[in-house]
Amino acid sequence: MSINRHINVLDYTLQSLLRRKFKNAGIVLVFSFVIFITGSILFLTYSFKREAFLILNSSPELLVQRMMAGRHELIPVTIAGEIKRIPGVAKVEPRYWGYYYDSLVKANYTILSSADPISANNRLLKGRLPFADEHNTVAIGRGISEARFIGPGSGISLQGADGGYHDLKVVGVFEADSELLTSDLIVLNQTDIIKLFGIPEGMATDLAVDVHNENEAPVIARKIREYFPDTRPILRDEIIRTYDAVFGWRSGLILTLFAGALVAFIILAWDKATGLSADEKKEIGILKAIGWETSDILEMKFWEGFVISVSSFLIGIISAHLHVFFWGASLFGPALKGWSVIYPDFRLVPFINPYQIATLMTLTVIPYIASTIIPSWKASVTDPDEVMRG
Amino acid sequence: MRKSYSFFIFIAVCLVIISGLAARSTIEVSGFRDAANDLREITAALKLTDICFSSDARYTRHPAQADLFSAFQDYPGSIEHFPSGSVVSPPDFITLDTKILVRNR
Amino acid sequence: MTEDIIRTENVTKYYNKGKINEALAVNDVTLTVRHGDFAVLKGPSGSGKTTLLSLIGCMTRPTSGSINVKGRDVSHLPERFLTDLRRKIFGFIFQQFHLIQGINVLQNVMLPLYPTDISISRLKTRAEGILESLGMSKRRAFPVQGLSGGEQQRTAIARALINDPDIILADEPTAHLDTALSVEFMDIMRTFRDKGKTIIIATHDPLVFESGDIDLIVEMRDGSVTRVLRND
Repeated sequence: MSINRHINVLDYTLQSLLRRKFKNAGIVLVFSFVIFITGSILFLTYSFKREAFLILNSSPELLVQRMMAGRHELIPVTIAGEIKRIPGVAKVEPRYWGYYYDSLVKANYTILSSADPISANNRLLKGRLPFADEHNTVAIGRGISEARFIGPGSGISLQGADGGYHDLKVVGVFEADSELLTSDLIVLNQTDIIKLFGIPEGMATDLAVDVHNENEAPVIARKIREYFPDTRPILRDEIIRTYDAVFGWRSGLILTLFAGALVAFIILAWDKATGLSADEKKEIGILKAIGWETSDILEMKFWEGFVISVSSFLIGIISAHLHVFFWGASLFGPALKGWSVIYPDFRLVPFINPYQIATLMTLTVIPYIASTIIPSWKASVTDPDEVMRG
Repeated sequence: MRKSYSFFIFIAVCLVIISGLAARSTIEVSGFRDAANDLREITAALKLTDICFSSDARYTRHPAQADLFSAFQDYPGSIEHFPSGSVVSPPDFITLDTKILVRNR
Repeated sequence: MTEDIIRTENVTKYYNKGKINEALAVNDVTLTVRHGDFAVLKGPSGSGKTTLLSLIGCMTRPTSGSINVKGRDVSHLPERFLTDLRRKIFGFIFQQFHLIQGINVLQNVMLPLYPTDISISRLKTRAEGILESLGMSKRRAFPVQGLSGGEQQRTAIARALINDPDIILADEPTAHLDTALSVEFMDIMRTFRDKGKTIIIATHDPLVFESGDIDLIVEMRDGSVTRVLRND
């Protein structure tokens, strides 16, 4: 059976690789690490993007912010009435939200008010949101619950704009599975938030606009800009695409990681590409002299490249998958976390783009095999007679 | 055992692991689609616009809401938040397909 | 049988032809080796005997002239056919042995036939048989670096025999051996000749060419044949 010869050559190749055990183990280690980092980045960013897309598809269709001196300012609620008159606009609601710095745990919270209720069978909220007519109750995110050691029934005290402390009772806690969305949230009812932040009467943080026909949104946005030149409309489309950009390969940190991986890989391939050592040349000469054809030598070199690159790739990609989807990308945690105290456990959903993985494989395995075979070409086609005279 | 066979077994084991992970991923993804409804309800009810992956600054917490000049928003000469600020790059208008109209008045 | 097994006609070999370091290694050599001959190419170093051996063994091609092996002109065959021929007909023993370091005796012996369709178990049995006949069975799992000179040579001989060649070529086989081992080597070669193999040895060691039953001595100097002695 002609498969014998290939297995024999593979046997010899493996034996050969084991002869230089440490060097080859080092190469596999570096190669696997490169794949691990690159694979982790691909998994992380793709999963984030898909999740963001699926979740943020329910964001408001159009948001209207007011700008003053290049900065985000409060917006008069009266504008809402005028925007409502633009054809195509279904509903305009003011949003009240802002940030709160908790000096106790040195964390930033996002505080917002809810206008609409959440259904009772939503499994991601334990408890409920504050009722519209209820005062001094809050629903909080899991991150806050853990940072402050509070749960349903506990109290939390926030300092208001007037300097006084507002004591609030927790009536709902968002579950861990919604962390990516809700980890640092505190939800109050509208009257409470206005009092807490000291928002002047008739003002809101921004306006959320619902339109009848989604395709009309850009047109309506343009009109809003026209009528109110100091506003900045934000489309839902832009919101989603922001996350494409945030987790795109052009983001600074990711680019740095990729560049590092690329350099490591080039160093690997360079070692191969700069030609054979005298030992390797001699070995090829001897094999040719004892009866190996050029094609057998090249097959041996192919196996050499294949064994190292495919093994490394498999190890790297499996580790990357486990790292991102089982261990929450913990190696990247410090990089992404920065100064955040409230930081969600990345319980990422394993959305995988097989095209990305295939591309990664093509861009690493094939050049590596090529860089193993090509430098051997000359030695492989030389007459074995050189060995005789050597 | 011949070395070739050891190698083939290693590859086979890896492929089995990968199939297992792929199967598990498919199951989790379909499971997520159910949880996604709940998440979407929260998003719609609270009118959320951003994912909470970094809460160290306004423009890293709400990159979709941030102004164009957010990197220096805290105060003049403020240093950027690192490293999360390097992860969050401003939206690239070339790819966002947003038209910027300049009108002569 | 006295048919010709090797026939060369006006074979000439230049190295680096046309370049500044052009060297004429073999000059217009015509000779005939018969089936079953115990032949010696005799001459000092630089006489071209190693190159001639290389040409006969299909390791390289002549610049001009022709070489016939078993009636077939091999001078202009493509590499694949030459390798195939080499594998089927020749067994080569190098002056420096040229064993692959880092693998053991048995693996070195089996190596020439790895890229063929023979099953590994048959190959192993054959190799072990040859090592047994050379008294090397005990050493078969030893890495070759640890062997003595004589053991290395017997491994090299075993390797040359794995493909059951018709013709055994040896280049200065006694160069690294003491007298006792050299005599032993010649005895081993004689047994193979008695089994019907053709032996061609390139050497300048008198112990070889003055030993008893050499059928053919080809004396060479500066790439040319100066004298041919046939012992009929």
